[in-house]
Amino acid sequence: MAEPETDARRIAEDARDRIRFEEEVLELSDQVYRVARRFVPTREEAEDLVQDTYARAFRSWRSYTPGTNLRAWLMRILTNLNIDRGRREQRTPDLRPMEEGDYYLYNRLEEAGGPQDEERIVERLSQDGVVHALAAVPHDFRDVIVLVDIGDFSYQEAAQILDVPIGTVMSRLHRGRRILKSELADEAVVEEA
Amino acid sequence: MGFESICEKCEELIQPFLDRELDEAERREAQAHLDGCGYCRKRYRFEEELRRFVRQACAEEMPPELKAKLASLRTPLL
Repeated sequence: MAEPETDARRIAEDARDRIRFEEEVLELSDQVYRVARRFVPTREEAEDLVQDTYARAFRSWRSYTPGTNLRAWLMRILTNLNIDRGRREQRTPDLRPMEEGDYYLYNRLEEAGGPQDEERIVERLSQDGVVHALAAVPHDFRDVIVLVDIGDFSYQEAAQILDVPIGTVMSRLHRGRRILKSELADEAVVEEA
Repeated sequence: MGFESICEKCEELIQPFLDRELDEAERREAQAHLDGCGYCRKRYRFEEELRRFVRQACAEEMPPELKAKLASLRTPLL
């Protein structure tokens, strides 16, 4: 006759695990929003995307294995929802030849304004300019930059989140940062001209 | 290896160096080159600053009311 008691204990344990899970997930919401905000063009879309992510995370909490990377698990839901909902703006893939190297932006800024302290040279960029330049990077490349540079994920985590090989993360990051810098150089140098 | 090609290699290593994704041998190689090359060191510092700047410019705070909305999505306690 111990069965009802066992059941009650199981239900209580289940509820306790779920509450703990939900609290941990909610603690990550600032980080989730920061990434979501750069995945989509507007604040409203970012808010919707984060709400959908949380609704799904709460629903599917049993598919999370305790002790594994919760931040990456949550971000995987977010990226999948972003793809499913067709929220990504359709841009033609960037086919410009990327001859500029990683030093391109520094070299352009130095040329435009003469050599100066490398720690101050970045101040010639505007915050809005950076946001626009990032938004102009095609989404495949931008997603990786957002995950690694803003979300603080490792290459390996970004590969799991996006479900691509780590080599793809590295090449997209490499190319994406060069596109970003080329956009920034165009904005900064045009502004100064 | 000529001077130019060492700097070119360094240029390729700077991003993963900043991402802390180089293996120990590559990290040492990049560090040794940066210690001795003013041209790459200047650019390395710029890249470091640029990362910080991008991060700061792109980090938008979550609207406080969204936090409450998310909490309301939790499973109700029976």
